[in-house]
Amino acid sequence: MSWSLNEIEALSRKAARGGGMDWGLAEETGKAVRWLCAAGWPGPEALAALLPAQDGVTWEAVRPRTDTDPWSARDGILCPSAAGAALTDRAQTLAYGHTIAMAAVARPILLIPYAAWAADLAERPLCIRWPGVTVTFDSGTPRADIPDPASLTAARTETLEIAPVNETTGQPVARHTRADLPADTARTLTAFAQRTYAPGTPESRATGAGAGLTDND
Amino acid sequence: MMAEAETPTIALRTPETVMKLARLGAFHQTRLSFMRQLLRRMKAEQWRFEIPVFDIDSNGIGHAVYVAHAPGHSYSLIAFSHDLPPEQRSDRVIATAWDATFTLFDGIPDEADIARLADNVPRQEAGRITDRELALSRANRSVRLWDYVVDRLAAGKQPDARKIAEVGYLMRTTAVYGSGKFGAADRDALADRPEFQAPFQVEMLSVYLTRAFVMDLVEHTARMRAPERALALDPVLRRRFGIGNSTGLGMAPFLITHPALLNNWVGAREEALRRVRALPEAPRAAISAFRQTAARARIHAHGWRSDHPGQQAKLEDLRADMIALGDHLETADMKAPYPWDRLWRWGEATLSLEGQEQLVSLLLEPHGELVDDLCETMSADEDENWRIDGAMPLSRLRDIVEDIYGWALAIDWSAKPAQARIWYTSEEKLEPRMGERFDEPLSPYEQPLGPGRDAALMHGDITASDAPSVAEFLLKHPEHRHIARRAQIAAKLPYAEIRDNTIDAAVMPIDMLRMKLSFFGACHFDPRSDRWVRINMYQNAPFPEDLARNAADDWTLPRLPEAGE
Repeated sequence: MSWSLNEIEALSRKAARGGGMDWGLAEETGKAVRWLCAAGWPGPEALAALLPAQDGVTWEAVRPRTDTDPWSARDGILCPSAAGAALTDRAQTLAYGHTIAMAAVARPILLIPYAAWAADLAERPLCIRWPGVTVTFDSGTPRADIPDPASLTAARTETLEIAPVNETTGQPVARHTRADLPADTARTLTAFAQRTYAPGTPESRATGAGAGLTDND
Repeated sequence: MMAEAETPTIALRTPETVMKLARLGAFHQTRLSFMRQLLRRMKAEQWRFEIPVFDIDSNGIGHAVYVAHAPGHSYSLIAFSHDLPPEQRSDRVIATAWDATFTLFDGIPDEADIARLADNVPRQEAGRITDRELALSRANRSVRLWDYVVDRLAAGKQPDARKIAEVGYLMRTTAVYGSGKFGAADRDALADRPEFQAPFQVEMLSVYLTRAFVMDLVEHTARMRAPERALALDPVLRRRFGIGNSTGLGMAPFLITHPALLNNWVGAREEALRRVRALPEAPRAAISAFRQTAARARIHAHGWRSDHPGQQAKLEDLRADMIALGDHLETADMKAPYPWDRLWRWGEATLSLEGQEQLVSLLLEPHGELVDDLCETMSADEDENWRIDGAMPLSRLRDIVEDIYGWALAIDWSAKPAQARIWYTSEEKLEPRMGERFDEPLSPYEQPLGPGRDAALMHGDITASDAPSVAEFLLKHPEHRHIARRAQIAAKLPYAEIRDNTIDAAVMPIDMLRMKLSFFGACHFDPRSDRWVRINMYQNAPFPEDLARNAADDWTLPRLPEAGE
């Protein structure tokens, strides 16, 4: 089914929140999934795979330790939303020409938008790369060099880096204004989003939306 | 004498003054409002209108197509008319059937489009639309007025003007969804359409065409009933019908989740006020136009009805304020330097909030050439200021919090009334609701719509943190990421944040609804509780077929000759 990007962002934001992320991270995750859909890449599928795998983990387990090189998670595998937030927060490091490397990242495709935003913030061309995938950003259209398409949707990568580049290479990434969500992806994300909805109660039905007076005259 | 010639410093009103809920809840439409922007554009660009299909039977079942031709594109309102049993008629968002349902289509629909939409639009949220559709909406008849008007016209008589004034519309929309909802085209996808640059133009166009359809439908219904005898509405009476609208809680969170947009709306209005106040003198024509508008606003205030005790008290204030303004204008020296500023300062010192904010609208009215360019500043790209600046020293974030949320730091958040309310989304209708935090098990479902409380919590953790930067702080405190972003946005965009407690026991969500609807250009706010409000849209506006011949922008306030009505 064809979804608008607004719908996908809203669903992804709620699903990320339902999956245990704090609101600020969930908001960024929603925008990241939207960004991927606009690039024609399977962002919703990646999030739908990430959330069950991360269900119930703590922030401390999956957030990056940024004082080590490469960044790594305490419990083995980095959450791309946590790593992405830390990455954009440290865009200045990239602006100075440093490279940020990460070890063992889950669903690395979800990190691509954060690298794009970091390039904006750092105001310099950057690339994100892991084996089989390189995406570069400067002020224009992103370019992708993906010799191994399966790498784009990999469940994890052992190495990944975001690095300054001098020139962008690869194919320009086309812009899409809609996305087709596979039914099982939509079901999984909807189930996680559902966790953010309060079950109905007699009180909420009676007063929550503010009825009380007749609305029919 | 020398002192008088000095240029006064006329600054923007501060966010601490403007962004209070009680004041936002007293805003009125202005010439910057979105309905008025749309009508001015349609007139200036000579939009053409036509009705290629009007196929509705004697039971009121069928569809119609209303096409608006803009310079580069055509847009069609496709209206489906239904025969709704009275017991199913409800304005609440939980309704599942309506008297009429609508979509605004990008272009001119063919039969296949109509067939597809006939399967989906009548079901509203339960249906599915596509990127050919720009908006989805529905409307219910006013039980008070619809049958009466049909009966009168079918009997060959005009309806009574007083009865029309009591309600003001024949149908009310109960939701107008745009911007990607239920599969519709995203706002981003319309980025290259000049007619949709200003906010909510898709929705305003949809409602404008809906009004035209509803008026045609009531006459059509009378004609079907009594083909020999039925009259069309007298054009003077016809214009007195607007489109009603019932707006519930769903609209309130929008203002909190769109801080850049909120800033740009309020900022444009405040800059417009500043520009007028900064005029060193007032030409005779402007003074006379202002007096006229003030007199019309006085009539408007008297014609505005509400059963809500809070609004009734505000209306009493407003009516007294409009009389006081009229009296003041009799003696005010408009030849003194900076006469508009003097008038404004008189108003600030004398009038209630309702009156002050009405005065803002009145001051802008004769100054279109000075302020209308601000319309172009009222849309916003939320993404522009959305990235957190992680390099910011944490001490700077603390200063920002103390500056912007100082009012929140002064609140004792351990006292129950300070956070008695909780915003959440209900599982049953997926709509925003407000509940009682301490009476209902809602905390796990709280939406981030209480920025003051969140800022105070973050301030506590900042004070206890030795992190040098925002990046390091947020690595330890991901729970503050949402409010850290808001604080940084509000530091750049002064009117981005409501400077009041949106989860207080005494919060009135209708204040937020009123503020938003005033920017739409709505009038006659009539709260039906503390959390939903009825309004009238496009009352007295020219119809599409009249736009070419009539003034496009002189309809919001009643005309003076009708004063004796």
